Amino acid sequence: MSDTIPTTAGAEGAAAEPDEAPRSARILVAVLFVLLLVPGLIGFDAWPLTGWRLFSKSRGPEVTRWVIEAVDQDGSSRVVSLEELPLRYRHAEWPMSELPGASEAKKTAVCEALLTPVRNILPGTEELVIARDHARLVEGDDGHWTTTHDLEPFHSCNGAHLL
Amino acid sequence: MTVARIRTALYEALWGPETGARLLFVHVGLSVLIGVRIVAGSYRQLAGTPGPLFEPVPFLAWLPDMPSAQVFVAIQVIGGVAALAAVLRRHPRAAFAVAWVCYLVLAGLRGSRGKVLHNDLLLLWASAPFLLTPVTVDRHDPVPRRRYGWPLRVSLVIIALIYCFAGYHKLRRSGPSWAYSDNMRYVTLWGPSIGSSGWPGLARWVGEHAWVARSSGVFILGLELTFPVVIFVRGLRVWYALFAVFLHITTWLLLGLDYWAWAITVPLVLIDWIAAYDRLQAWRAGRAASGTIEPAPTAA
Repeated sequence: MSDTIPTTAGAEGAAAEPDEAPRSARILVAVLFVLLLVPGLIGFDAWPLTGWRLFSKSRGPEVTRWVIEAVDQDGSSRVVSLEELPLRYRHAEWPMSELPGASEAKKTAVCEALLTPVRNILPGTEELVIARDHARLVEGDDGHWTTTHDLEPFHSCNGAHLL
Repeated sequence: MTVARIRTALYEALWGPETGARLLFVHVGLSVLIGVRIVAGSYRQLAGTPGPLFEPVPFLAWLPDMPSAQVFVAIQVIGGVAALAAVLRRHPRAAFAVAWVCYLVLAGLRGSRGKVLHNDLLLLWASAPFLLTPVTVDRHDPVPRRRYGWPLRVSLVIIALIYCFAGYHKLRRSGPSWAYSDNMRYVTLWGPSIGSSGWPGLARWVGEHAWVARSSGVFILGLELTFPVVIFVRGLRVWYALFAVFLHITTWLLLGLDYWAWAITVPLVLIDWIAAYDRLQAWRAGRAASGTIEPAPTAA
């Protein structure tokens, strides 16, 4: 490795430069701090601008999450973890959480977007239900914790629009 | 402390001098890290994301759909080659900028599925000052110079502010009880929203021992809120870097969350590895000369 890297200007060129940050650097730094501080202090997200609200909301024994439930031809059902689906579907909980207040078409579109990959892993799936899971952690007498679930169906689809 | 001294301290925090060798080391290190994140990231698997599940981040809002696998691979190849060029110091400023933009786009696409993802943001933000880093760097110049110092110092200040904001929003949304209540018990017992714990047994153990969970809550909030101290107290940087690495490793063990980019970026920027290496060499030389064994110096 040479002494001066790279050698476009050479060591003499480096020595001749004023020993201070250039004006362009000061402008860049000013812009960066505005973009970092404004969302950081206010707390809004417009990625890559962010409020850095990492795990900022305290958690308790009760959580409501959005889940999908596959129903087969004989009416039996099971909750399908989004982790069982390919990577592109694993954040579907967030689009699902925005469905209250959305149009029926939007609800069905999100539901059917998930129905296809669910049928790939559970071919007998007749219907997919988007549901709110009111889950609760309960501490047992032995100190171990178990989770109870209470599913509240929100929207269902059977792929009729896909045919 | 007078206003003038505060102004001087802030000025030095941003524009103070560093050696060319340290600047070069961190710039190359960030280039390597960005290159690895670009090349090794699971991006092309996002191709085919259905339209109803595609929620582009604001700067990618013009995209009608998630790009195809070929587009992802093309961005990864361009970004990977650019990062390699930056490491090899071939047009380092332009190469670094291309790699940084490719990384920004790839991470943005990964975050275009509804959830705000922070996994890549610290590296992106800490690297941003290096977009205009000096291209002519004399690594054998032992004199710290201001023209070499500002990318490193601004990057360090950005990192400190990011951690502080994380703590600030915990206080703002949940109050101090975020740390000492049962919050951390439930965080570990519920586990991550996406993925799974790297060590489920440890997560369950922490959740079932309230004092461990509360201690970890106090540690996390204390670390985040006090992080800006590293801007002014150089001697604490090694400790804060080690605490941050510990935090992110345990986050992965407990929640399975990928914060490896944070865990590597923080010590890369906070610790003066060149000075630490020089001190180690001097200590070895001294030991060899005296023939005695002395305690090894610590990095600062």
